[in-house]
Amino acid sequence: MSFDIMLIVDSIPKMLVGIGLTLHLLLLSTVIGLILAIITLLMRISGRWYLAWPAMTYIYVFRGTPILVQIFIIYYGLPQFDFIRESFAWPVLRAPFGCAVVALSLNAGAYVSEIMRGGVLGVDRGLHEAGKALGLKVHQRFIYITTPIAIRLAIPAYSNDCISMLKATALASTVTLMDMTGVARTIVAQTFAPYEIFIAAAIIYLVLTWVIQRGFGLFERRMSRYVKQ
Amino acid sequence: MDEGGQQPVILLEGVSKFFGDFQALKDIDMAVKRGERIVVCGPSGSGKSTMIRCINRLEEHDKGRILVNGHELTGDVKDIDAVRREVGMVFQSFNLFPHLTVVENLMLAPRLVRKTAKPEAREIAMRYLERVQIPEQADKFPSQLSGGQQQRVAIARALCMNPEIMLFDEPTSALDPEMISEVLDVMVDLARDGMTMICVTHEMGFARKVADLVVFMDQGEIVEQNPPAEFFENPRNERTKLFLSQILTH
Amino acid sequence: MSDIVGWLDDYFWGAMVVLRVFGVSLLMAVLFGLIGSAAKLSKSRIAKSIASGYTVVFRGTPELLVLLIFYFGSAVTLTHIAQIVDPEIQFVDIPPFWAGALAIALVVGAYMTETFRGAFLGVDSGQIEAARALGISNFKTFVYVRIPQMWRLALPNFGNHMLSLMKDTALISVIGLEEIVFVAEIATTVTVKPFTMYAIVAVIYLAITTVITLVVSGLEKYSNRHLERAR
Ligand SMILES: Nc1ncnc2c1ncn2[C@@H]1O[C@H](COP(=O)(O)OP(=O)(O)OP(=O)(O)O)[C@@H](O)[C@H]1O
Ligand SMILES: [Mg+2]
Repeated sequence: MSFDIMLIVDSIPKMLVGIGLTLHLLLLSTVIGLILAIITLLMRISGRWYLAWPAMTYIYVFRGTPILVQIFIIYYGLPQFDFIRESFAWPVLRAPFGCAVVALSLNAGAYVSEIMRGGVLGVDRGLHEAGKALGLKVHQRFIYITTPIAIRLAIPAYSNDCISMLKATALASTVTLMDMTGVARTIVAQTFAPYEIFIAAAIIYLVLTWVIQRGFGLFERRMSRYVKQ
Repeated sequence: MDEGGQQPVILLEGVSKFFGDFQALKDIDMAVKRGERIVVCGPSGSGKSTMIRCINRLEEHDKGRILVNGHELTGDVKDIDAVRREVGMVFQSFNLFPHLTVVENLMLAPRLVRKTAKPEAREIAMRYLERVQIPEQADKFPSQLSGGQQQRVAIARALCMNPEIMLFDEPTSALDPEMISEVLDVMVDLARDGMTMICVTHEMGFARKVADLVVFMDQGEIVEQNPPAEFFENPRNERTKLFLSQILTH
Repeated sequence: MSDIVGWLDDYFWGAMVVLRVFGVSLLMAVLFGLIGSAAKLSKSRIAKSIASGYTVVFRGTPELLVLLIFYFGSAVTLTHIAQIVDPEIQFVDIPPFWAGALAIALVVGAYMTETFRGAFLGVDSGQIEAARALGISNFKTFVYVRIPQMWRLALPNFGNHMLSLMKDTALISVIGLEEIVFVAEIATTVTVKPFTMYAIVAVIYLAITTVITLVVSGLEKYSNRHLERAR
């Protein structure tokens, strides 16, 4: 038995074949997730039960179940229904890529809306009152006061969520997608060198994690320039 | 302008306010004429904040009538907006917007509410910053200022909306002693200019100097109201006497 | 409906497997978390850097990948060793149960390391000094002053880590553990009702995570009871 460092180095470029798909999944699902999160948040804080309840149910279900199971339900499960196979969404839901994006986005939407809610709740009540006393309308207070402050408060948690999302993209390999983990699994099946290949993949994930963390760190510094050190 | 100030600009009639079962205001009656300066004092929890917060509808009263500058405060959004445009408020904890610079704090409401153009809003803002004597701090963030400076910015921010009435809720209680006078000076200055003011404060020197009327509240009621000379020299109610003895011995 | 009923006992036993993996790996994760946080707070630079290496690596690598490394890595290693003894042997592996439990425990343990460390540092040092000034021994201070408060500070995050751990158990089906996702897979091939079969899995997970959430929030209320009157 041998542990071949050179094999790790050699397999990194091969792994990069899958990085495009990994990043594609990550980007699409973060963006869609963000939109879903904003809609969900607005529903939740609307103060109307017929909007708040569906939002809370959505969050509850998606935060309470494994992403893997969500992917399987969408990929294997939905075709059970004829109406889905005949619907406009079928071209998306038929393909593993579409299913992975749908599952990851729905997941991100649920988590991120909670993160945003945390940010919104973290905004000092006195600032709302000051806004009211100055005559600002509800939407003006939300846009000019709550939002910028909530964003700053939410950055650390959001950064962690993006890292979780990156890690979750690896689950796409379970529905035949050739993301980095998918590529790694294929190479392992051919070479029987699991340590080297998987570690090579892990190194790339770690680098991506570092980039995300660093990026948000800089962003947070920028957003926090008004906070007393 | 109604000369002689016959008609009150603020009128409270039988105002009551409940928090759950707890009654924070009990049948409050008060009339403030244009240009009058009222100081409200009383022990903690007596309902001082609640009363002045009802005047610009930060709290909703449950019973009675509140009229501000001719607008009756009901649920009607139009009246609430009108009242808030005409009434400025200063808080104990400043409540400056931390993400905006000083001058941006001042410009926000004129731009959004009065739709003032940016250069003009800035001009107004600078004028009021000069009035509170900190024009040089215009481009700093609130967190970079001292407490006294922050409270002066908060006063200037309210003044930028050109209000007819100013409400102050313990504007100096959160300040270090050496900064209190710089804020009080600004308030005295405002009073001299004829601003209608209601100040919740325990600064009795300020009350003696500028107040037309000192209102003493306890347990949600107005117990006594008199001009300062009378109020301090000759308090009638036992609760007022007790309160004054406590506050003046310190 | 009849499709489902025949499979209920399989789901039940699958759920038992899930709970067992969860229990075992929760214990391991807490252990890793305690060791990790102790190392991070220790004075030894080596211990500190090993611990930070551990948290960086296991928090930055997909859980699935960690699982695959552990399972297939150990299988290759064991097979090699076994072949030295008996060249006929084709394949030896660690049972997926243990490989899986260990892998997810290592990942969650990395998160717990940070939580425990934060909780430890969160206890006001003035209290420690007060205890010392009262002549209470270091050990007793640790047991009676630090631990009870750490626990309160760590609880919210700890609850979230338990939820992650619970959901991560679903991954172990990928290496062939016969838990509920696996049951759904088999049931699907027979009944051709994939949605129904996977939806049951989701419902089971939702039920378990709900219980965890309720228990944690009950404990939180209990551990914060002395703060109740504060505003
Ligand atoms: N939002 C609220 N919910 C419940 N009770 C409240 C609320 N706001 C105020 N109260 C109660 O109403 C009473 C009056 O409060 P208020 O803030 O008006 O007192 P105050 O005279 O301003 O006191 P202080 O000098 O401490 O500021 C207090 O007993 C307080 O506990
Ligand atoms: Mg008050």
